[in-house]
Amino acid sequence: MSLEVQTRQVDNGVTVVAPTGRLDVAGAPALKDAISEAVKNGQPRVVLDMEGISFVDSTGLGSVIAALKQIRSSQGDLRLAAPNQQVRVVLELTTLDRVFPYYSTVEEALTGF
Amino acid sequence: MRSHTEPFEFHATLSHLDEGLEALHESVRKLREASGRSADDRNLMHFEIALAEIGANVLTHGRPAGTDPPVEYRLWLDDDTAHASFVDGGPPVEEVLSRAMPDQESEAGRGLPMARWLLDDLLYKRDGEVNRWRLVKRL
Repeated sequence: MSLEVQTRQVDNGVTVVAPTGRLDVAGAPALKDAISEAVKNGQPRVVLDMEGISFVDSTGLGSVIAALKQIRSSQGDLRLAAPNQQVRVVLELTTLDRVFPYYSTVEEALTGF
Repeated sequence: MRSHTEPFEFHATLSHLDEGLEALHESVRKLREASGRSADDRNLMHFEIALAEIGANVLTHGRPAGTDPPVEYRLWLDDDTAHASFVDGGPPVEEVLSRAMPDQESEAGRGLPMARWLLDDLLYKRDGEVNRWRLVKRL
């Protein structure tokens, strides 16, 4: 298993989804399941804590785009927090940093969310 | 100071997606150690991204259900240049290679365009019943 996902809810009703491992073609289904669960529970404001993601590939990135669509279709929103350098490089290469402005820390992402 | 005098070669036979991807990342870790490069070396990071994209494609589509032949993988360093090769028994993929980067809403299709952009050379050849891939990146 390349990815493990932990989910927690914080005081202001935001769900923090925190994967650990590689968000790649093998790990993407685990993130998809966690996001579906968060949306199903009526908590569509989600922070994706990327600190534990060691590596992302295009399929993993696709799963983040799918998460954004799913969350927004439930009138929610998604914020990305704490991506490492490799994740930031992939976001920039694909110009998806324009779609996903990211926050340095989970605390920053939660502020005003 | 980087050392380019130590020969480096890695070989693996890959039979499963998750373990196969782990082997690719492990091979890059070993190359990084052997060449004395840092974890944030940008060229090696670009190579690893491209390697993972081609590797994921090969491990997903290069092992057709029912036959499941293993994928042969090699990685080696030649002076300042990283070379990787895959040989898989999947169907031909010529038309996939020419795909352009999709729009920002798309959830798939970025892997091969990104790999082409990141590598100095991405070579593909259909050879009888197998696909031969070669990835080249000056580090």
